[in-house]
Amino acid sequence: MSKLEVGILKSKKPNSGQSRPNRFFKKGIILNNFMSFQKIPELKPLYLERITSILNNKEDLKKYLEILKIQPVKSIRCNTLKISVEKLKEVLEKKGWVISQPWKDFPEVMIVEGKLQDCGITGGSTKCHRSDLRGSLKETSGCLSPEVMIVENQLEPGELGRSLEHLLGYYYIQELSSMLPVIALQPKEGDIILDLCAAPGSKTTQSASLMQNKGTIIANEVNMGRLMVLASNLERCGVTNTIISRKDGSALCKKFANGEIKFDKILVDAPCSGEGTLRSSRQTYLMWNIKTIQQLSKLQKQLFKSAFEILKINGEMIYSTCTHAPEENEEIVSWALEEFKDQIKIEKINLPIKPRQGLTKWEDKEYFEEVKYSCRIYPQDNNTEGFFLAKFKKIK
Amino acid sequence: MDYQKIKMNIHKQFKILSLKEKKQIENKLKESFGIKSIYGTLLQKSEEKIFLFQGSLTIPELQRLERLIPIERAGVYFAKLQKGEIRLSIEGTQILKDQITKNIFELDKKQTEIWMMGEELDIQTGMKGFIIIKYKEHFLGCGKASFEKISNFIPKNRRLKNRNIIK
Repeated sequence: MSKLEVGILKSKKPNSGQSRPNRFFKKGIILNNFMSFQKIPELKPLYLERITSILNNKEDLKKYLEILKIQPVKSIRCNTLKISVEKLKEVLEKKGWVISQPWKDFPEVMIVEGKLQDCGITGGSTKCHRSDLRGSLKETSGCLSPEVMIVENQLEPGELGRSLEHLLGYYYIQELSSMLPVIALQPKEGDIILDLCAAPGSKTTQSASLMQNKGTIIANEVNMGRLMVLASNLERCGVTNTIISRKDGSALCKKFANGEIKFDKILVDAPCSGEGTLRSSRQTYLMWNIKTIQQLSKLQKQLFKSAFEILKINGEMIYSTCTHAPEENEEIVSWALEEFKDQIKIEKINLPIKPRQGLTKWEDKEYFEEVKYSCRIYPQDNNTEGFFLAKFKKIK
Repeated sequence: MDYQKIKMNIHKQFKILSLKEKKQIENKLKESFGIKSIYGTLLQKSEEKIFLFQGSLTIPELQRLERLIPIERAGVYFAKLQKGEIRLSIEGTQILKDQITKNIFELDKKQTEIWMMGEELDIQTGMKGFIIIKYKEHFLGCGKASFEKISNFIPKNRRLKNRNIIK
């Protein structure tokens, strides 16, 4: 059932030179957000205690808890291996989708705000395409006709994934914060890149797109089910510069080390407790537990160490997770700075959104001062999901 | 999604095609669709499936890598050999779209919806064998034309679920 809304835009006659404010309602979006408030599981008390201590500010915590109740925006990334940004935008707008491009320097990133369900001009015979109508409304401040009815809607569940354009691989459905590691890594056309934990393939396809299928990516995934999803997504997106391997991440790195194969860039988007995905995955509320965090922290250190050893001198590596847990984030970064001492340098990252600095202390733990150069992404700051990333350079 | 097929292919070893074997594929593509050349390395899985790798690794580098790590897939599924004929995948037609000059059949909107739902089209095209299916500027893979219909090869995970969604 669609979340319908109707907005009636009334104005003086088109050529009267006067217009009334555009009453282009977006009730559909509001209604949808209201509906998403329902049936959210309770946060586990220990999680609430921990996130309270991390945020350390009542107002901030309130904003965080509020935004958890709202589904994240519907974001897509244009697959420039198959279609230009301009063409995709045009095609999607012709379907009636309302598209915005939130990041000026990354026009391939788009948000599908909703869709124009129907439009018409009552009492007249003129017909126009809905995207033309929308354009005209913008240009004329809504004085197109004495009475125009516009119905704007949220996309139905799954609609993004069912469109012809998605099936043909023209875009990839990807949450905004998940695009940040590749933006920070800046893959170039000739690079040899290792994507150590690659499934489902969002970051691999994003890298291939930036590399225009030049260079080479090794995309690894240990789990067969997830590897099949990875293979399917790479195929749909027309990625031709990638080799898929299936091996435990640390063991794969050892193989490369034995074969003296090193990489220009490495992405370690590590398996994590997923605290950052609470907005979209209600499962995370139920699955969260502290033991998993402690186990993951060990695995993440292992992956980091193995990957860093096969990075070329002057090569760059991104470590990222979709969690807020310091044991999986700053603790790994601080440990790595200690472990590799004079071989490693943490780099500042330029992102198209507002990050917060990494923590330098939490509970009874103190981390290296440079850990502040890592980036914490909170959902309440940029209306995204939660994320963490840090960039390193191998200097020796 | 149709992961079973992908899973089956993943488990089979692939073979890097020599330049001579690649030339044979190119000749088939030229004969069928007017395609002159393919940029990249071709790899074959089982007797039928051809993959296209366009990354920077050379054939010796790929062979070295294959000895070192378990490679599940290289590049994109590109074409299938069937009884001496060649059928391009959706990606195959999209990658080579600028070179395709013959045996193209253009669909209208209604036919495209039927096609993308995985159904065969009851159309007399006057063509025979594998043909390129196209809607406006979109390349939609290959179909097999016979006297009264075009058989469909759109994989299940790439099919439209509903009609009336193509604008």
